[in-house]
Amino acid sequence: MRRVACAERPDWRAKAADCGFGFHTIAGAPYWDETAYYAFSLREIERDIEAPTGELHAMALDMVERVVGSERDMERLAIPEDFRDWIARSWRERQPHLYGRMDFAYDGTGPARLYELNYDTPTSLFEAAFFQWRWLEDQLAAGALPAGADQFNSVQESLVEAFGAIARGVARPFRFAAMRDSAEDQGTVDYLRDCALQAGIDGELLAIEDIGITADGRYTDLDDRVIGCLFKLYPLEDLFREPFGRYLPRSGLQLIEPPWKAILSNKGILPLLWEAHAGHPNLLPAMFDDGSALPPGWVRKPLHSREGANIAMRLPDGSELATGGPYGGPCIRQACQPLTAFDGRYPLIGSWVVGDRACGMGLREDATPITKDSACFVPHAIVEEARGVLIA
Amino acid sequence: MKRSRTAALLLMGSAPLLLTACNSDSEASRQGLYTSVEACVAATNDSATCKQAFAKASQEAATDAPRYASRAECEANYGADKCVERSDGGNHSFFGPMMTGFFLSQMLRNGTATSAFNSAPAFRDGSGGWRRPDPGGSSSGAYGGGVYRSGAGGAMVPINATPDRAVTVSRGGFGESAGSRGAGG
Repeated sequence: MRRVACAERPDWRAKAADCGFGFHTIAGAPYWDETAYYAFSLREIERDIEAPTGELHAMALDMVERVVGSERDMERLAIPEDFRDWIARSWRERQPHLYGRMDFAYDGTGPARLYELNYDTPTSLFEAAFFQWRWLEDQLAAGALPAGADQFNSVQESLVEAFGAIARGVARPFRFAAMRDSAEDQGTVDYLRDCALQAGIDGELLAIEDIGITADGRYTDLDDRVIGCLFKLYPLEDLFREPFGRYLPRSGLQLIEPPWKAILSNKGILPLLWEAHAGHPNLLPAMFDDGSALPPGWVRKPLHSREGANIAMRLPDGSELATGGPYGGPCIRQACQPLTAFDGRYPLIGSWVVGDRACGMGLREDATPITKDSACFVPHAIVEEARGVLIA
Repeated sequence: MKRSRTAALLLMGSAPLLLTACNSDSEASRQGLYTSVEACVAATNDSATCKQAFAKASQEAATDAPRYASRAECEANYGADKCVERSDGGNHSFFGPMMTGFFLSQMLRNGTATSAFNSAPAFRDGSGGWRRPDPGGSSSGAYGGGVYRSGAGGAMVPINATPDRAVTVSRGGFGESAGSRGAGG
């Protein structure tokens, strides 16, 4: 694994505009950054990222099976009582899911270590699945990458296939919903809608804020059509506690991601996985937080937080790093495994699971060891080592 | 190769690809679940068929709805206040769910509805799903002999459609939690 500086495609901004990638620059700061890429060997990808992703995914699904049968585990994950039976039912019915992203600390030496599962509202999808792929094709065509360079990225193919697999059974009408004013979230649902259409599911877009409720507790779109299946780029735990949430269990609404993802998008899954698989090379030691002072070498994370918010990190030397944010509530502790710096940047690996297949990767790098919403997306390529030496 | 062989965009690209018709099977029939004749007419623009379908479904609801020996058993499956007492015309009375909608399937020819249709009463169960009597089962004989087994739901099948429209009483009950940047992570 190496960070390789390279020339940007001169026309990448025009290409981004052409395919509706509007959030490559966010609030004036770059988000898509192709002034460098990360080079991996095929062995690093297959042995260190792809295989562990598949294994951890299977372990995570096994854990869902355990948690839905355990009031105690549901309690530890702070899942509200009113939703527990509904979540359990969604799992027993094997309601289909679409995607998830595992975040790994990895630097090419030693095993990838799981930071967390983003199994409910993962983003950085379009840039990983499509724009990164386009970058590789363009740079190969321009001769800017070694001939034969590849990428761990069949995310789009897998998305279309996953939508195709659920197309017949999924309730209609199908709607895609995200926050109205978030360009990034809107871009992500635009993309998912596009992939769904390629698989024969024609779903319209709807702002989360515009969803309506009927007198008998069903959800409607702006045309008063009762929504059959809702893809929501919005956290399940937020839906639960908002005014319309109490109707969910009896509404008949199919959700994607389905209710059982509330178990996996919860950082409490990390201590549960560690309890069940202590010593697994891809897991970091983790426990539920008891509120006492954080000892050196540990990180505190709320059960629910996104974009690196509300993280407290006590490095092994005793120094502290912390981020602010809106999240509170119960926390977990995880052993500190700081990211390795490459040219002063800290890359975090996002490994995608679509359907149930480990199918691709995207890297975001930040200027500090905590990856926040200020991180940039940097493309990657699979380059065989011998060739890597030639271009180094 | 570890990457997608191709990655095209249909809607997001500046030069959208042409969509080919790929749902020709679903054009052979049009199915809907309606909570009123008005909702049916709004969706199909076929008032005569909607009225006939509603009348037929109402009749069948009296004979084909699941039967329970007690109100409590019925309500356990279909929810509080959703069950009524019925009689088979003789000495037997029983409890069954109220019809809350009807299912209509129309045959289409060249995209236009023909006069052939199937309809059935629809019942909303306690978890929000919709059920209808199993079209493959024998209908009124299913509970013959006056034996009303609890959970006689074996003769009911789920409907994979949702009612087209319903009156929205409120909006804006979702979306207050996430910050300005968005909800994904």
